Amino acid sequence: MKFICEKNTILKEIAIAQEIISSRNALSVLSNVLLETSQNTLTIKATDLKIGFKTQIPVETEEEGITTVFCDKLLGILRSLPEGDIEFEDIDEIVVIRPLFQKMDFKLRSISPDKFPELRIAEEESFFSVPQKDFIEMIKQTIFSVSTDETRFFMNGVYMEQSNSGLIMVATDGRRLSYINKIMDKPIPMFKPIIIPPKILNLITKLCSGEGSIIFSINDNYIFVEFDSHKIYSTLIEGQFPNYRRVVPEKQQYTSIIDKNSFLDALKRVSLLVDQKSNRLFLDIDEGAITLFTEENDIGMAREEIPCDYSGEKIRLAVNYMYMINPVKAIDTEQFIISFTEANKAITIVSEPEKDFFHIIMPMQLD
Amino acid sequence: MAVPCFFHVDMDAFYASIEQIDNPELQGKAVIVGGTSVRGVVSACSYEARVYGVHSAMPIFQARKLCPEGSFLPVRMTRYLEMSRFIMEILREFSPTIQQISIDEGFLDMTGTELLLGSPEFAATRLKQKVHEKTGLTISIGIGSSKFIAKMASAYGKPNGLLRVLPGKEIAFLDSCTIREIWGIGKKAAASLADKGITSVKKLRSFDEDTLRKLFGTSAGTYYYNASRGIDPGIFSEAPKSRSISNETTLHTDESDSELIRQIVFDLSHQVYFRTLTEGIIGKTAYIKIKYADFSSVSSQKTYEQPFLSAEELFHSAWDLFSIRWNKKPLRLLGVGIGSIVKRNSPMQTELFETVYSKKHDLEKAIHSMKASGMHLIKASTLMHQIDKKEKKKL
Repeated sequence: MKFICEKNTILKEIAIAQEIISSRNALSVLSNVLLETSQNTLTIKATDLKIGFKTQIPVETEEEGITTVFCDKLLGILRSLPEGDIEFEDIDEIVVIRPLFQKMDFKLRSISPDKFPELRIAEEESFFSVPQKDFIEMIKQTIFSVSTDETRFFMNGVYMEQSNSGLIMVATDGRRLSYINKIMDKPIPMFKPIIIPPKILNLITKLCSGEGSIIFSINDNYIFVEFDSHKIYSTLIEGQFPNYRRVVPEKQQYTSIIDKNSFLDALKRVSLLVDQKSNRLFLDIDEGAITLFTEENDIGMAREEIPCDYSGEKIRLAVNYMYMINPVKAIDTEQFIISFTEANKAITIVSEPEKDFFHIIMPMQLD
Repeated sequence: MAVPCFFHVDMDAFYASIEQIDNPELQGKAVIVGGTSVRGVVSACSYEARVYGVHSAMPIFQARKLCPEGSFLPVRMTRYLEMSRFIMEILREFSPTIQQISIDEGFLDMTGTELLLGSPEFAATRLKQKVHEKTGLTISIGIGSSKFIAKMASAYGKPNGLLRVLPGKEIAFLDSCTIREIWGIGKKAAASLADKGITSVKKLRSFDEDTLRKLFGTSAGTYYYNASRGIDPGIFSEAPKSRSISNETTLHTDESDSELIRQIVFDLSHQVYFRTLTEGIIGKTAYIKIKYADFSSVSSQKTYEQPFLSAEELFHSAWDLFSIRWNKKPLRLLGVGIGSIVKRNSPMQTELFETVYSKKHDLEKAIHSMKASGMHLIKASTLMHQIDKKEKKKL
């Protein structure tokens, strides 16, 4: 195998491969990235057995071939090299990396590609596609609510199901929930609802160009996605996602319209002084103003009042401020709405004007 | 700054004395409380029994040999706990800062109470009288400028003792003790000290900290250094970071019956959980301990994001841990505990989804408050019958 490639072109892909690889053991083939040249294309593959990644970049092939090298070191080398073209050559289980017109070379031991696990291939029939832009928005509105509690593994991913007119994604950790129902131009075929691990979703948001579409295939507990020049698949989380429809409040009695940026700024300031153990933040909502404050604790306290559009009884709510920050940040309108019925019932956050998503936060006890 | 002043209160032959006041016929007689099975050990014995050479942790059969006339009684933990709580309440009248270290021992921080309660000796005498009047039990009190000194002083005058080590006299007091009498120095530690020719507290004090650390390891070395100087080595420092509550059971005979073990884990989980209710705390970590017939032991723990809100939930986690760790060989001891404890009134996050445990939580709270108000409840559990059957088979 011998090929020449521009540094930045290959560096970008190797960096992604390294993100997928979870093994750090230099002797394991799972720590390696597979490189294969055919005609003037380099195919790069990496896997941690749960996620598989395959991408192709144009190169100048001098000799076709295939090998695998320790990805962590390859990435380190590529990062350290000056800009320009690099020659890669496989000689007797050693990959020589030689920047052109430079007096340096690196030799990396390789492992035979025979030992590299076979990547899965999606079944042809079951593909459907959605615009990249839409899918990225769906991820961004939900992924932060995923639970990290391994004992609730079925909440450790984003739930996705087909709806009448598009796709629904939901994430929850049992105390807050994020929901988005995106209407799609093209109908989505029926599929059994799935729970997608956040790792592949994070990769998608990072890699998507935002242009064009992303193609999905779901089968046998795997999700396959294809976009730009990338192919990624991941195992799905097996388990029963909670019946989220039951906990979504049908309607709320009171609504308060608030300026997003003023609220977010106030939230950041006041939360500096929340009680570290509980993260509890209080909201006093009154006609025309909302006051964010912390209880007096070992450190001190903070209070800030900002205007809001509200007419109703004065009410005090208590929330974990961390649960408030992400949904408000994800709002993409100038104003947003906090709605509620009682201090100990679920709080809803939506954009103003309302769009295709909402967030629900369970409150904390007031005393 | 007032001179620090601590009481160490130790109840004399606690379990046995309670049996004696509950049954006056036992007054003045040898009473031995402990497991009644073949395997049983002495949990406590009256001073009358100690004359025969009986002591706690001795196998029951041996105690029977030494003291055939003695009254051998089973452990009535609920009664002892009730009495312990009652006495702790009396202690609270004397100092707002009390630290209970076991069912029958506690420290009182009496620093600065002289104007209010009189001299430490006077306050201690009144405390002893009050406990005796209200319960009929005697207690021993040690008074010192640190918990360490107070603890050692209370051991000196037992039973019904009262000893104050005056401030400044700590070293003299320690020098009058043998190495083995220093709190925290057990048989093995004393032997290793003797190996190096250290046979008196005075001798121990002649070594600098570095030398002791080199000879006996860093933690033991520092401990000896401090202890020999009357500096509290910190065994009773308050508010340990990771408090936990646990309970364990030594089985009558080595057991490997999965159903029986499951039932015991179930009972232990409930006992532990109800204790957290009584103490107004909640915890997020489940612990288990397994000791096999050959005395090898295994323990395991798992921490959850949310605290346990029901005994059922604790039981399920504990049983999961057991199922993973237990190699199905016969067991002699089982333990269940709960850790990562916080106060129950810490701000609670409410949940979106009702779990199987949410309802149990309310039910258990109701049961607990009924029990606390003195109602006697009978458990209705099909599992209990199976245990009964097994026990009968053995008889």
